[in-house]
Amino acid sequence: MRRILYAGVALAVIAGAVAWFLSAPRPLDESVLAGLQPADATRGERVFWAGGCVSCHARPGAEGDAQLELAGGLGLGSPFGTFVAPNISPHPTDGIGSWSELDFVNAMMRGLAPDGSHLYPAFPYASYGRMTPQDVVDLFAFIKTLPPVEGKAGESDIPFPFSIRRAVGFWKLLYLSDEPVVAFGDGTDPAVRRGQYLVEGPGHCGECHTARTALGGLEYSQWLAGAPSLEGRGRIPNITPSQDGIGSWSASDIAYYLESGFTPDFDSAGGEMAKVVRNMARLPSEDREAIAAYLKAIPPKP
Amino acid sequence: MKKLIASALVLMVSAGTVAAQDNPIKSRQALMDAAAGAAGIAVPMLKGEMEYNPAVAKAAIATFYGVATAGQAFFPEGSAGDSKAAPKIWEDPEGFKAAFAKFQSAAEAAFQASGKEGPADLKAFQAAVGPVLQNCGSCHETYRLE
Repeated sequence: MRRILYAGVALAVIAGAVAWFLSAPRPLDESVLAGLQPADATRGERVFWAGGCVSCHARPGAEGDAQLELAGGLGLGSPFGTFVAPNISPHPTDGIGSWSELDFVNAMMRGLAPDGSHLYPAFPYASYGRMTPQDVVDLFAFIKTLPPVEGKAGESDIPFPFSIRRAVGFWKLLYLSDEPVVAFGDGTDPAVRRGQYLVEGPGHCGECHTARTALGGLEYSQWLAGAPSLEGRGRIPNITPSQDGIGSWSASDIAYYLESGFTPDFDSAGGEMAKVVRNMARLPSEDREAIAAYLKAIPPKP
Repeated sequence: MKKLIASALVLMVSAGTVAAQDNPIKSRQALMDAAAGAAGIAVPMLKGEMEYNPAVAKAAIATFYGVATAGQAFFPEGSAGDSKAAPKIWEDPEGFKAAFAKFQSAAEAAFQASGKEGPADLKAFQAAVGPVLQNCGSCHETYRLE
């Protein structure tokens, strides 16, 4: 009897140790920065708009230059609780002004805070993990040029058990990958490749346009095939080139939509997508055309 | 006689109101379809995909003017239904009113600038209709769900 008890305790200890090991943060080290060009804020601005940072990190309702004050404060509702976007202005204590370049790279690409704790994937690092380190450091250089904003954003409201940050480590084992989502062969049009990078990486389009598993990861077999809205009523549309999706749109229809918000029927984007369009309109036209080329090239889904 | 005309007018206006309350969702969606139809003329002309024609341009502007002036009446409290109208319309009625007022004044200015014949050339049309079109996205961002 006692022997079984000992064995049980030993097993529990082993299981705990394995769980602790598996959920551990896995930061990138300095070598990720080796060989990069010096960070460039001008290039970073393009990444900034592609990434749509202001959609969550500007004060809710901010317009024009006020969007560049990254005070945070927007609440994102989800089945796991309400996540409040933090202050990411370059303020030394309330924002990210005292972060190192490597801290920023680890937040963007590994979902880690500077102290090594896991960030929640409401911050879409599962997409940003596909970005190039060069783009990430350029983005950091641009954010550093923006005005520092005093004051922390509100606290997120995450009920137990999701409040256990360490558990996000398991989520990352399942869902954090730098592999491209769609496999394109050799000789693929460079515009499609560029579009793939923008959509799957910084643009993080799949975070809303792809259905999620019960654990909150993306259902990659249904890539961009639409999803229930995480917040309230409505459905996020299918944007694959199928009949249920946007198969009837030409590439120039898609590019024009991203610039103006007008669909081919001259409906006009609303809600979160109107914000996305405002960001996309700031990109050079070749980037919108690249996104369009990619969306015409991916597998159609019903 | 004056009294008769006045009561006839009141009757007509209240009949209009009753119709609006009858099916406000359908009414406002029809108005928004009219605006989309107008954008479907305006944008291709602005992009140079359709030849510029002042009378057609004026028809588009007049449509926006009508939609912008009448539209707000078709969002009574409790009419969200199964539509894409965002709850924010009724949570922030002042903001919604202000957004509609912005659309209305841009459309009215464009209508007045059109004159009898419509905007003389594409440049004049762009100047008149540009500020009207901006309202589509900015209003939908807050007051429509998708």
